[in-house]
Amino acid sequence: MVKHWKKLSLALLLVLSIASSSAADKQRATLIREEYLYSSAGANSQKLSQVNRGTALTVLETSTADGQPWMKVSMAADQAEVSKEVTGWLPGKLIVNASTPNGDMIVFGQAVDSEHQAEERSGRKGAAEDALRLYSRVAELFPQSEVAAEAMWRAADIRWQLAKASSSGTQPVEKYLQEVIDKYPQSKPADLAAFDLLEGKMCPEWRGLPDCPEKESVLYEQYAREHPQSPKAAEALFDAAWRQATLADIYRLGEDRDKSEAARKKAIALTQQIQNQYSQSDWKPRALSLAYKLQQKIVLYGPAED
Amino acid sequence: MALKYRLALFALAIVFSSLAFAADKEHGTVIAEVPLHVLPDPGSQKLATVTRGRDIFVLDHTMVDNKPWAHLLAVVDVDVERETSRSISGWVPAKVVVTTSTPNGDQVIYGEAVDSENQATIRFGRKHAADDARRLYYRLYEYFPNSPLAGESLWRAADILWHLEKADVGRRPSSHEMDPNMREGMNEETLKLVIKKFPRTKWSDMASFDLIDNKLCGSWKDETKCPEKESDLYEKYAREHPESPKAAEALFNAASREGALVEMFRINNERDKSEKARKKGIELAQEIVTKFPDGDWKPRAMDLMYALQQGIPTYTPEAPSRPSK
Repeated sequence: MVKHWKKLSLALLLVLSIASSSAADKQRATLIREEYLYSSAGANSQKLSQVNRGTALTVLETSTADGQPWMKVSMAADQAEVSKEVTGWLPGKLIVNASTPNGDMIVFGQAVDSEHQAEERSGRKGAAEDALRLYSRVAELFPQSEVAAEAMWRAADIRWQLAKASSSGTQPVEKYLQEVIDKYPQSKPADLAAFDLLEGKMCPEWRGLPDCPEKESVLYEQYAREHPQSPKAAEALFDAAWRQATLADIYRLGEDRDKSEAARKKAIALTQQIQNQYSQSDWKPRALSLAYKLQQKIVLYGPAED
Repeated sequence: MALKYRLALFALAIVFSSLAFAADKEHGTVIAEVPLHVLPDPGSQKLATVTRGRDIFVLDHTMVDNKPWAHLLAVVDVDVERETSRSISGWVPAKVVVTTSTPNGDQVIYGEAVDSENQATIRFGRKHAADDARRLYYRLYEYFPNSPLAGESLWRAADILWHLEKADVGRRPSSHEMDPNMREGMNEETLKLVIKKFPRTKWSDMASFDLIDNKLCGSWKDETKCPEKESDLYEKYAREHPESPKAAEALFNAASREGALVEMFRINNERDKSEKARKKGIELAQEIVTKFPDGDWKPRAMDLMYALQQGIPTYTPEAPSRPSK
């Protein structure tokens, strides 16, 4: 009898925990257009602050004002200080949560739009950050979506590109790329994330010495071998070949003819591999052009012989 | 007499045909920037610099210190900024010269062009790399017209030139004129050549898409006639080029303009027209979702469709955030 009750209570607990986690999922949401946070439901109430696209929201309450749905939300007061929260009201039609039909595609579409804006000369200010937040929300709110992995990778990649352009360096954001690899192993997003991570291992300067291009060539070749299906595999092989080609010049300038010739041959072999394996892309003619320069002994690095 | 005349004509024909053959074989370009020397000697006086993709004609070859040199008639820059050039003759190391007789010459030039295009897109890329790419692509089309890369090459050359000119035109005050006829447009010659030489191909489809730019308003000034006309232009393009890689984008551009019209008509209190535009926008977005399920246009269309269904404005009057192509 006791055993039976124990089983029943366990089942009840499980049902309750599933129901509460589903309710929590529904409460999590995001904003798909920039809007003001209002002190109460209705556009005539006091404006508190501006809320950006892709901000992580928790829906606390719903209401109707002027015939339109409104939602009371809480959010982090500051991206840098998530422990402090602010609450206020937003128009419900701008809020997407896990139960919005096609919500994943709507948020993803707005993220693509923001990314596009960020690339345009006269695009919206802060559009790259909008895209980053929106892509992040797709992966968080819709983990089962067909675009979740792609969204997570794009968010990590934007973070990576922004870090590269800033003075803070890329090291603090490596974890986001690593998360893509851990969560979606052997996928295209994981392959792309691994390629980004290679950049962090590159030397900032070569100073005309062979150590850096030697190391970098090995890294790229290893990547191409370990990720043969990656959209970046041909590029990685080309990067390896190009470094071998520059090594041929570095060793030539150092009057180390044997090593120069070995690097030249290695580069030609890599360009041949690209032509054989990736014949349908721009990498084939690029490899062919590089091979031609190597065969003709055209200087690719350092002062020209002429 | 008649026989002598015939023989002379025959000899002349042979001479001309062999000359033409030689000329065909010796046209080409250089795949690296190189100084043009007075003599086949690196120590001799430098006359000018021959940049990538410049048109060259090989006059002679020689070997100096076991290294091949080519005597060229080359087009060189006089003033890069003003885009002035002239033809002069001189010597360059033959290894940078690619002519119609170079094995895989088309692919070598194409690879160098892609490389230059890539340089033009990176932050610290080579100066004038876009011009290098444009010239190299054009040379490939010009000297290897039967190459499988010729169509794409001509299209890429035309597209680069179009975008360089578009950036120039966009900097002029006249670029904000509402009527496209009130501003100087981009030169359509090379894009039209793509359509003429490679009709009903992916490349002619892409060229036709670029040409729409010249018909777009510089600004809408909150008047409905511009987005109405532009929506028609993009929809017509999508109908006429259903296989184009730009078909989904064209439909999206049409749908986003319908989205802008919803707001414009609403502000003008023209409810019926606003509702009609909303329905049209939704229809076009739905068409994208159905016809183009792969790629980014589907979620972008779904986002737009959601905005139109929920009554979320997609256009802000007199704001710089008008939908762009």
